[in-house]
Parts: sequence; C-alpha cells; structure tokens
Amino acid sequence: MTATALPRVAIVSSAQTELRAAWPGLQHVDLISAAVTKALAGSGLRIEDVDFVIDSGSDVLDGRSISNCGFLGALGAHHKEESRVEEDGLWAALYGVTKIASGSADVGLIVAYSKPSESDLAAFYWTQAEPFYARPVGLDHRAAAGFHAQAYLNADGPAPEAFATVVARNWARAAANPSVDVEGASAPSGDGVPMSRPVDGAVAVVIATEQVARRVTPDPVWITGMGTAMDQHTFARRERGSLPACRAAARMAYRRAGVHDPTRVSLVETGADSAVGELMVLEALGLADTGRAVELYNGGTHIAVNPSGGSLPADPVMATGLVRLGEASLQLAGRVPHGPDGASTAIVHGAGGIGMQNHCVFTLEVDR
Amino acid sequence: MNNVAIVGTGQTHHARRRTDVSTAGLVREAVVRALDDAQLTFDDIDSVVVASGPVLFAAVNQPEKWLVDVCGARMKPVVRVTSGGGTGLAGALAGMNQIAGGFAERVLVVAYDKLSEGALQYSISSLYDPFWGREFAVGIMGFAAAYWRARMDTLGHTEEAAAMVAVKNHANALRNPYAHVKKPVTVEDVLASKPLAWPIKLLDVPPISDGACAVVLASEPAARSITDRPAWIRGMAYYCEADNGPDRSMIQSEPLAIAAQRVYQKAGITNPLRQVDVVEVQEPYTCFELSYYEGLGLCRPGGAAELIASGATSMDGDIPVNPSGGCMGANPIGATALIRLAEAARQVTGKAGDYQVAGAETALVQAGGGWANLRGVAVVGADKN
Repeated sequence: MTATALPRVAIVSSAQTELRAAWPGLQHVDLISAAVTKALAGSGLRIEDVDFVIDSGSDVLDGRSISNCGFLGALGAHHKEESRVEEDGLWAALYGVTKIASGSADVGLIVAYSKPSESDLAAFYWTQAEPFYARPVGLDHRAAAGFHAQAYLNADGPAPEAFATVVARNWARAAANPSVDVEGASAPSGDGVPMSRPVDGAVAVVIATEQVARRVTPDPVWITGMGTAMDQHTFARRERGSLPACRAAARMAYRRAGVHDPTRVSLVETGADSAVGELMVLEALGLADTGRAVELYNGGTHIAVNPSGGSLPADPVMATGLVRLGEASLQLAGRVPHGPDGASTAIVHGAGGIGMQNHCVFTLEVDR
Repeated sequence: MNNVAIVGTGQTHHARRRTDVSTAGLVREAVVRALDDAQLTFDDIDSVVVASGPVLFAAVNQPEKWLVDVCGARMKPVVRVTSGGGTGLAGALAGMNQIAGGFAERVLVVAYDKLSEGALQYSISSLYDPFWGREFAVGIMGFAAAYWRARMDTLGHTEEAAAMVAVKNHANALRNPYAHVKKPVTVEDVLASKPLAWPIKLLDVPPISDGACAVVLASEPAARSITDRPAWIRGMAYYCEADNGPDRSMIQSEPLAIAAQRVYQKAGITNPLRQVDVVEVQEPYTCFELSYYEGLGLCRPGGAAELIASGATSMDGDIPVNPSGGCMGANPIGATALIRLAEAARQVTGKAGDYQVAGAETALVQAGGGWANLRGVAVVGADKN
C-alpha cells in the first residue's frame, strides 16, 4: 500500500444535535436536517457549495430498506452525488476524504444519525452474527464485551474497579458537555461489564480542500492520517482482551501522518461500546501499555482522554465515531468549552461490529 | 484526477436459488474468479469494498463483517457501501476514490445478493415512508408502472416498444455463460404474458437471482504492472434526487441526466451515439431501458421507441445495448450494477467471448436504484482520458 501523505483535507465545520435517550417528538429527517443546518450555519459555505454527501445509518435501526432514500432532502443531497456507507460514521468521513483528495470534489458533507430509541438495539447486534454457528448460541455485543473483559482482567490487567473508574470519569465529563443530555440517566453499575448507553442524535461534518478551507475558516482542522482494519468474523478465534484490528488501523493512520510517538497527542476521542473496549482501544492506539490504560484516567498523563465524555455515556450507534470526529475538531479549533487548552493534535477512533470487529482511526492537527 | 483501471473481473454462475452455497460461498466464487482474471492473490489487495442490497434482502445485518474472511481481508480496510439497486456501481465509485485519493493501490470491489433467502417485495416495500408511502406502494412495481404509463401517454410509446427490449435482452442472454435465464421470447409472448401491474407484464420483468460479482481496481502504475490491457475508468458518477415520486418528472430522470453530463464531460464525450461502441444498462423493467436511451443521450428525448425499433441497440446494430443480456439474463440486484461495469470492462478488453462487440473500445454503463431516484453512469475505455 502507498505510504504517501494524503493531499490536505480539512474539517471546516461540524455540528450535532443534543444526544439524548430519546427524541420522541422528532423524526430522523428532523434530527438530520438540524445537524446539517447547524453545520452549515456560519461556516461560510451554503448547501449549494457542497459537492457531495456521504451518510451513515442503518436500515435495521431505521426499520426501512435503503433508508438514505427517504432522507435525501434532509441530508441536503438533492441533485448531488450521495452514497450510504453502512458502517460507523467515521468510515463515511474516510470515503469523503478520499473523494476530495482524489481531486474530484472540493466540499463534502458527512452525516450520521441514529434513533435506537425506536428500534431493537439487541437485534441490531445479534443479526450481525454469522447465521449458522454464531447466532444460535446467542453471541452479541454484550457477550463479546464480557469475554473481552474476562481476558483483559486475567492477563495481568487492572483490578475490576478499573471499569468503574472509566465510567465515572466519562459520565462526569458528559454531564459538563452541553451536547449530551445525561439528566435522569444513571451510569451502569453492578457486576456486568459496563456497556455504552444508546442515544438518539445526528451529526454533520463539513470537509473541504485546503484552498476552500483557508478561505472560509481561520482555524481549519487538518486530517493528517486515516487507517482502518477489520478483524476476522469468528469471535472465538479472535484475540480476547486486546484489539489487533485497532492496532492495525492505528499503524496505518500513524504511518500516513508521520506519527512516531502517539503519546505526544493532545487529545483522544474513542468510540468503544463498553468500558473494557475503551481501555483496549487506548492501548491499541499506543497511548498506554497493555493492561495500563486506566492510568490515563488517574492523572498520570498530559493526554486529554475523551474530554467530551466519549461514547460510553452517549452512543448514537452508527454515528458514534463521527460524533468523536466532530468533537475532536471543535476542541482543536477551540470552539467548545470542554476542550483542553492549547491542544494541537488529536486521535479519533470509531468502531463497529460484535466485540468491535472493525476499527477506524483518524489523526488531526491544527496550525498553532 | 489519478487514473484508475479495472484489471480483473469475475462473476458467479447466477441462478434463482444457489442452494449449493451460503452467501459467503457465493461471494467467494466471484472473488476467486476476479483475482484469477487479474492473476493476483489476496496479498496484493489493499482494501475491500463490499456492496449489496438492503440488509433485509438476506437478513444478515452488516454482512461485510461476516464476509471479511472469504474476501481475504482480515486486518485490511473493509467497508460496505449500499445504495439500492445500483449499489454495485456505488461500491465501485467508493473503490475508485480510494485509489484516486491515494488511500490504496489495488481495491477489490465485491457485490452480491442472495435473493432466494429473503422476502424481496416486502423488503423493497419497506423503503417507502412508514407514514405516507407504504399503504400505496407495493414493491417498486407500482411506481414503475405509473412511470411507464406516463411515458406512454405523453410520448406515445407502446407496450410493443418495451416488449422489444425483452426480446433483445433475452436473445443476447443466450450467449452469456453466466446468465440464469436463457429463453428466447417474442414480442407476442411478452404482450400475452400475465399482467402484474399494467402495463408491466411478467416478461417485462427480469428474474430474481442469487449471484455475485467482483472487480479488481488498480492505480495506473499498479494496472500497468498487472496487465497490458487494463480497462480505464474514464468517468464515473452516482447522483440522486430527493423528491418523492409524485413531485418528480415521470418522463425523464434528472439524476441520470446530471450523472451522464458529468461523466461525458470528464470522458470528453459529446456525441455518445457516435463515440460509444457498446452500452450496458441496468433495466429493472423493460420500459426503463427505453428511458435510459434518452437519459444517456443515445437518442432525442422521446425517441427511444424509434431507436429500439430501428434495431440500432441490437447485437448487430450501431450501438448494442446489453450484449450480456442485461438484467433479463440474471438479476442478483445488489450485484447487477457491478456486473454491468464488469461486462463493459470485458468488452473494451476483448474478453466478452461469444457476445463480444467487434472492435469495442469505449463502453457506457448505467446503473440505478432506490425508487428510481439514484442514478449512476460510467464510461470505460481501452484508452485512458
């Protein structure tokens, strides 16, 4: 594979609806158009300037085949090029970046949304399992997280309280994030592996060529590297307690970005589906040694881990990674109060599949 | 933009029911054939794009996560693109951008559907708005019938004109070793076949198939090292329109016109009838092939009935359309658009066997999906732009 640096593509704007347990009064199109309108407002770009739309969502969650077809107007896609990437929204962003880097477009709108409050999230996961051998035994994302947690704790890992530490920190951060509503919700407790809390919401990110970015914003956020990798499907044959596909995705992104020491990054936003998942991701990203990621939450680092609260208190399934990208870009541009001071680089992570089979990693930077 | 070429293609033997293989086995068959055609191995592939129809078609959610192993893609980039019936071309476009954007050198695009395993018309019907659309629409057929009827009323097109499309494509499919329907029909047969949603009759409709197709895309340097006869992608686009059916023109497809204009501009085509040697279109109903003639500029608006009647789009005509037999030969929906692209590549590289159009150097591809609101176009050539 080529190791050449990508032509510079920038995030020029991003916005999201509030992420909350349910938006019963709004339809998918309402959430999508709210995010799109907000992302364009004040960006210096109008919908007419957008060359293409790449969106991410799930027919299964939406209860509707080719659900993008019903949302094209809200997406601002009318008479434009549009494609649906049925992975976490970070893969939609990856597609968009390649389209701009190819020179065939100048401005792209990347959108992801989720309304699990109207759907059967358990079915969303268990229908991903191979139908003949895996599905009948009841393998789903919870079971996979449990197996990961057992292996993680047994292999020289931290005490089981580590998961509670991760949850408490993220939920406290989310409570301070105006884009996340945790009012009335309670963080997971008890013996099971803490899982992410599904929420409704939509996110839109505007990306552009360097030339356009310089014209419309004083603080473009540069996408310096992207990598993605998928592990094998059969969970029983995968490594447990670690995420080699996340390591592979990070290696690819770092190589492109010329990152030799990821621990020098200012901030990281992760899209894990469980507390053990978040710890494994941080280790796979090279930010902590095996079994030591919990130390990142105990003050032993300059890296700001999930300043937004991350994916555990608010997981808009299918949009989670793109929310991370939007959050990281807003923090780097200094446009949200919860971002770390003086941050110049970020690592963004998104995942998909049972036991987080698929991973996508972006590296970002701003001119300082 | 950096040049991208098709360097290998493969497809399954399509059938109404491929009970001998699972979805994974079906996909594997196409992938192995495409790699053999390119004389590459899995190790040579940087990235995989999986394209298939709606998840409900086969009831496995995010099926690329199951198919990663049969695609030889463990620890590689794998992404699924889904965009209705034209998803195969949407997937190829994603792969093309990965290469042109410097993300990969060699991309495997695989598209499939195993329609024998799902409730097809139920799945399609669920695309309509749950509050306003589902009570009126049954599958896509009612919509397509209204579309055709409008063209008959406005343009004076007849049922016979559409029947000629079925006759031509069924005849062509006889020479395609991968086609699953090999049955010659006459205009009289089509007109006498059972009405499904008038004016659509049974023989105006392609079969429902199990099948897969895979295509290997490569950057210019990679393509040069793989083959001395790459099929260059001279332009490719996939456009949409947001309006619901009642708000749209039933006569011409706006996204098709936009996509064609964009691709022709890129490929330097000003007179497709003269500059294109062969065409592959995705015709979910006979009447749609006629409207595509117009949308693609092969004739004047409203002139499609004359064009088919003239024989120009037949195998021995000036501009053969669907020498492979098109959807009438096989219609594994999610794969169908990628099959059109693969057939176009085979034509311009002289690999189309018994249905080779002599001397074909430039091929035009059309694909589409959704409720006839997603439209893709590509031009593939023996020479690059």
